[in-house]
Amino acid sequence: MENSTQESNLRSEICVTYDSPYPIYAMAVSNAAAASASTHIRRIAVGSFIEEFNNRVDILSFDHDALSLKPTPSLSFDHPYPPTKLMFHPTPATSAANILASSGDYLRLWDLRDSSIEPISVFNNSKTSEFCAPLTSFDWNEVEPRRIGTSSIDTTCTIWDIEKGVVETQLIAHDKEVYDIAWGEAGVFASVSADGSVRIFDLRDKEHSTIIYESPQPDTPLLRLAWNKQDLRYMATILMDSNKIVILDIRSPTMPVAELERHQASVNAIAWAPQSSRHICSAGDDGQALLWELPTVAGPNGIDPISMYAAGAEINQLQWSEVQSDWISIAFANKLQLLKV
Amino acid sequence: MATDNQTREKVPENLNKQLAVAVRSIQWSYAIFWSISSKQPGVLKWGDGYYNGDIKTRKTVQAEELNADQLGLQRSEQLRELYVSLSAGETNPQARRPTAALSPEDLTDAEWYYLVCMSFVFNVGQGLPGRTLAKNQTVWLCNAHRADTKVFSRSLLAKSASIQTVVCFPHLGGVVELGATELVLEDKKLIQNIKTSFLEVPYPIASKIPDQIPDNARNNNGLIYHQINMPETSLNQLVEYPEVNNCSPNNGSNDFGTKQLNEELNMVEDIDGEGCQMQSWQFMDDEISNCVNNSTNSSDCTSQTCDNPEDIVPVSNGKKETHNEIHEAQKTNQQKLNSSDSRGDDIHYQSVLSNLLKSSQQLILGPYFSNSNKESSFISWRKDRLSSSQIPRTGTPQRLLKKVLIEVARMHENCRLESGKCDGKRESLSKPEIDEIDRNHVLSERKRREKINERFLILGSLVPSGGKVDKISVLDRTIERLRELEKRVEELESHRDVDMLDSRTRSKSYDAIERTSDNYGTNKNEISKKSSKNKRKAGDMEEQRTNNGCSLLRDSSNDDITVSVVDDVVLIEMRCLWRENVLLEVMEAISKLHLDSQSVRSSNNDGILSLTIKSQFKGSKTASTGSITQALRKVIRRR
Repeated sequence: MENSTQESNLRSEICVTYDSPYPIYAMAVSNAAAASASTHIRRIAVGSFIEEFNNRVDILSFDHDALSLKPTPSLSFDHPYPPTKLMFHPTPATSAANILASSGDYLRLWDLRDSSIEPISVFNNSKTSEFCAPLTSFDWNEVEPRRIGTSSIDTTCTIWDIEKGVVETQLIAHDKEVYDIAWGEAGVFASVSADGSVRIFDLRDKEHSTIIYESPQPDTPLLRLAWNKQDLRYMATILMDSNKIVILDIRSPTMPVAELERHQASVNAIAWAPQSSRHICSAGDDGQALLWELPTVAGPNGIDPISMYAAGAEINQLQWSEVQSDWISIAFANKLQLLKV
Repeated sequence: MATDNQTREKVPENLNKQLAVAVRSIQWSYAIFWSISSKQPGVLKWGDGYYNGDIKTRKTVQAEELNADQLGLQRSEQLRELYVSLSAGETNPQARRPTAALSPEDLTDAEWYYLVCMSFVFNVGQGLPGRTLAKNQTVWLCNAHRADTKVFSRSLLAKSASIQTVVCFPHLGGVVELGATELVLEDKKLIQNIKTSFLEVPYPIASKIPDQIPDNARNNNGLIYHQINMPETSLNQLVEYPEVNNCSPNNGSNDFGTKQLNEELNMVEDIDGEGCQMQSWQFMDDEISNCVNNSTNSSDCTSQTCDNPEDIVPVSNGKKETHNEIHEAQKTNQQKLNSSDSRGDDIHYQSVLSNLLKSSQQLILGPYFSNSNKESSFISWRKDRLSSSQIPRTGTPQRLLKKVLIEVARMHENCRLESGKCDGKRESLSKPEIDEIDRNHVLSERKRREKINERFLILGSLVPSGGKVDKISVLDRTIERLRELEKRVEELESHRDVDMLDSRTRSKSYDAIERTSDNYGTNKNEISKKSSKNKRKAGDMEEQRTNNGCSLLRDSSNDDITVSVVDDVVLIEMRCLWRENVLLEVMEAISKLHLDSQSVRSSNNDGILSLTIKSQFKGSKTASTGSITQALRKVIRRR
């Protein structure tokens, strides 16, 4: 019988681990190579999850050649309450402009320099001085990097123009809290909510949105959304307390293209492969990260994953970055692991 | 070798067309020419090809209509172009993929197979083309799609493309491969015809091989002669030109073929030694198994493969026995060879496919795309592995994810609440919670209040108080007024009844009243003139009284109207004969004079009504005392 935890069997060439002093959740891989790019160094930001006010975001350096993952203490900073999401600038012009965005109470931007991190701005949309609904997630538009869309528990999605520092628009997206948002094109985004629907919005026509999926049991919240950047027809979403990953085709609303049901516990995170339009990775409470390939025709018994990885604990976070498409990063318990695909 | 150099790069242009003609003539799916690489001697790689199979989408690049030939050539060209662009994209992912006329989703499975073949490279003796070249024999593979990958490395591809028959034969220093989606039993004639068609079309390349061929081989039937002659004449030249030994079976004559093969095999054995023998064993095993699969009888099975065992192993019995023997003999040999061979094939196969897969979209690989590659953290997924990974699931599922989405928001809000309490900004937190329903409520409530206020105003005007206009006072006054009016109505009704009874006795009592009221009435206003007036009046009165009882009464009653104005209060005192409705008429008259009566005192003594009315001027109009008096007199006089 296979050993469920493969860690002991893995060599470091294919699996790099970082042990954090506290539980972690948010994670992002920088799209810019580190300044001293003589070797392949990639910055990875990791946000803690401590149920207190004082939380921390650490910046790790992943050395591709040495295969090491080390924190850079000078680049750590405090964050009020756990950051719900971290993301780097998708297309940085130069490595100097390595900007990190974090969401929590507000959308904040941080400038990641060689030896320090400086906060750039805090985006607060409230008319009164204090109040702004906390953000559950956000997405940085790759085509239009000045646009960041945020999702909030007050049922709205706010689109920020971060260069001007103003709100481009704020839409009441759903009937209940919005849990995730993802950009498709320059002016098109989709969001999922506790009301169980996936809606697509077009900034050119803000009056209307398209529902492309609703959870079969009404009001089953949809927790996460991922839009396939290689093939914009396809999106994936996960439901609350469900081991299913629902694959949607935006051309055929309400009917999922596929339901991937091979996890043995609820799914926590999904990520499309950045280099292939047919592959998707998912991770869940069963401690497994599964790699799926979506066939043109599905067999009668459903779709099986092509490969898997078993971590020792529930995997909470999954990131598959474009800049290092042969590494998948997962976070479980206090650990961050980079797995070679 | 010189010929190698010549034949590799310079695949004759005609070869393209030759292949086209060849494959079209037999209506097979594709033809590929594997040529020897100049870089690596003996290694076969893609030379040229023609695709003749099913096409999914037709992309017409040119406006003009192409005939079938040109279309086919164009298609093959496009497929090649696509392959080049895909492989370029793979090697240099940063660069933009050069555009090809076709894109992967336009291809059928067979086209895809054809395209992937372009990536294949065969070492000496490796793979079907490799072995063909090494043997210098035609290889006919039936059921290619079900063949073992050790036998036919592209069998999986063939399966997806439904390529069932693959035939390879050496030609021009390389190998020509033909494939069909149908199962075609071996037919030597077919091969012969193809070669004929090849040779029919002249090709410009002057390779040394044809020079060696005696002239008589050039005619159509030359093939046969060629076949016959070659082994004899070129025995010596075998070392140099092994490809010339085109000893494929060309006629139905088993004997002949057998003999030929015999010689050839011997030659081959001599030349290559043990290694070749290994290969030949393997080769035979492949073909044998295929032939066995085909379940053809010995007479039909004209494949040289079936013939071989008979020759090599001198057993004249039926096929089966020979097969068995060969099988046993080959086992050990095979395993050695196969493992290395198949491993190489596997790696090549997978690497090719994974390379292409990265930059393409369409390929159904299913469970074959497993990462047997040890380089990955991921292991291939199998159902039976599931039961092993049991992480004890305690608590809520998606615990951390839910916390991130829900709890963190709550943390922020609680923090704000605490800081907000000090500032008293609690209302702001409730803002987002106002519902649609609540808003409606507010509006209807407002409307109701407005209505109520309106009615209070009306009520207030009906019940004058001259002071407070707040709702409570208005209601109080209304209550008061209502009670008064009720009381009066009662009184009046009761009086009416009484008077009906006392109507006779009334006249007598009037005198007494008159007298007293006279005094009373005249005493009012003019105090100075009182005495004189009184006297006068008294005198008048007395005179009148003595004269006329009744008329005195009337006059005296008329004279009993006294109107006085003190400040804003108008006091009216009067006496008159009581009659029905007189009071009401008086009140009416007063209100017509724009007087607001504030208090009314009335008493009825023996038929004489005495009224004291205190009133106020309503509005700006004021009537003079004289006019008031006059009006009242009119009322009284009216009967």
